[in-house]
Amino acid sequence: MEPALTQQKPFCIIKNLQVLFHGKPVLQDINLTLTDSRIIVLVGASGSGKTTFLRSLNRLNECYPGYSASGQVELALSGTMENIYQAGLQITELRRQVGMVFQSPNVLPVSIAQNINLPLKLVTNLDKKKREERLVEVLQEVHLWDEVKDRLKTRASHLSGGQQQRLCLARVLALQPKILLLDEPTASLDFKASGRIEELLLELQHRYRIIAVSHSLGQARRIAGKILVMKEGRIEHLLNKTQFENSEMLQQLLEEVL
Amino acid sequence: MRKRFDLLIYSWAWISTFAVFLTVSCLLWFLLSRGLPTIGKELFFGDASAWEAISGQVRVWDALWPACVGTLSLVFLAALMAVPLGVASGIYLACFATTPFKRILSLSVELLAGTPSIVMGLFGFALILFLRNTFFPDANTSLLLAASCLALLILPYLIFTTQAALESLSDEYRLIGPSLGLSQLQTVFHTLLPASGRGILGGVILSLGRAAEDTAVIMLTGVIANAGLPHGLLGKFEALPFRIFYLAAEYQNPAELNSAYSTALVLLCLTGILYGSALALHKTLEWQWNQH
Ligand SMILES: Nc1ncnc2c1ncn2[C@@H]1O[C@H](COP(=O)(O)OP(=O)(O)O)[C@@H](O)[C@H]1O
Ligand SMILES: [Mg+2]
Repeated sequence: MEPALTQQKPFCIIKNLQVLFHGKPVLQDINLTLTDSRIIVLVGASGSGKTTFLRSLNRLNECYPGYSASGQVELALSGTMENIYQAGLQITELRRQVGMVFQSPNVLPVSIAQNINLPLKLVTNLDKKKREERLVEVLQEVHLWDEVKDRLKTRASHLSGGQQQRLCLARVLALQPKILLLDEPTASLDFKASGRIEELLLELQHRYRIIAVSHSLGQARRIAGKILVMKEGRIEHLLNKTQFENSEMLQQLLEEVL
Repeated sequence: MRKRFDLLIYSWAWISTFAVFLTVSCLLWFLLSRGLPTIGKELFFGDASAWEAISGQVRVWDALWPACVGTLSLVFLAALMAVPLGVASGIYLACFATTPFKRILSLSVELLAGTPSIVMGLFGFALILFLRNTFFPDANTSLLLAASCLALLILPYLIFTTQAALESLSDEYRLIGPSLGLSQLQTVFHTLLPASGRGILGGVILSLGRAAEDTAVIMLTGVIANAGLPHGLLGKFEALPFRIFYLAAEYQNPAELNSAYSTALVLLCLTGILYGSALALHKTLEWQWNQH
């Protein structure tokens, strides 16, 4: 557990964020200050802008045509708060520090080891020995090491869905991000594999700031320290643990989401 | 009603597949039965001994060897020119071009793809006429000219398949590179290209096959019936498809017609070998991508 003092310090401040695609607003009037050291879970109907919200935190929306945005997003990356939309910001460095895992496991069509090694080699200037150490570290961190240590050279696509997703997480962790964005990380997994990822996230929340989108309220309740409810591109509610553990509030939440 | 419709579609799909299989089998059987008996050392090297022919000590008459070498050199040269250019253009169109520019480029590639091969041949021929009347009075149709025209012919296949292979990757997959902090160039070379390797390879094979079998282009740009082994880039040459055409059109006795069939068989095998080596190349590349 982190000391109470740092818990009060915000790591993300969003002011009047608006995101448009081809002139159509997708996110509107987002004003938010996030201080939590526990997992923040985003819920909302499909199309409500959850993915777009996550991508506005590592500026991934810019990879799409027709994107425009206004407002300000400040993240605590190197100690101080930094506006990530300021001119001259190193965007590749930002994306390294704000790691993202996607909905479906997206391993590269190479070996298990190379999935982690390749981004490390391209993005950091670690030497081969350091990279190999890091590889072992992160595979252990996501509890994949014992399962794959004998077949690091085999294709990553031969792993099961849950293993692939943990590998994707390891790939991101290897770059030592400050913030983790997870976009429905268990949506394509079965019950058991989802459970393992949830456990893993509960462990990781002590080391990284985590913002996750969830497709299931049950999951949100299990892992969240705070729940954000999105509707039509706006943040409708911000619920803390006592609020969403109260079943009446949850009922209301359900109605909002559907 | 619904069920019957499904059954109809199912049968149709099955019959179509079977028809393709049947056609290919008949074709093969026909070629094999007519061509196989004449396949032998005689067919390839005529009266010369194999070693003398392969090392080029003795000139081979009325046999396949010079045509095999000619076709291989043609395909190799054409691929050397077209593959880097085509794959690079495909990458540019799929990953870098902006929308208005992309439209113009795609249109011109489509135009190129729609150009009949005989027109490519005519273009090469006209080029030589132009060169003769202007800077190079000695210019003549040659291996280099034919290969260049063939390269032009297969360029659009390469561009299309590369572009399609890259664009068929899912949106999420395309974002992996950027999300890990890779630059655009790194994303293309280290995440997108490895994932679309198979598709691009398919395009390369298709275009090599196309270059190996085309007759119209080379007929106007330097192939002749009895050139012997190609004499350098600026010499005349023989080629398998032209030999098939020539033998089938002007055969004097049934034996010559049969040797046309066996030539066709050899061309088929040659394309098969090209396919095999392209596949092997792909395997090596994949292996390399897996190294630390
Ligand atoms: N790259 C894009 N281009 C155009 N429209 C987009 C793009 N991304 C998202 N949208 C639109 O924004 C809305 C929200 O999408 P998204 O953020 O993916 O929602 P969610 O993740 O909550 O399902 C949708 O209506 C979608 O069509
Ligand atoms: Mg989404």
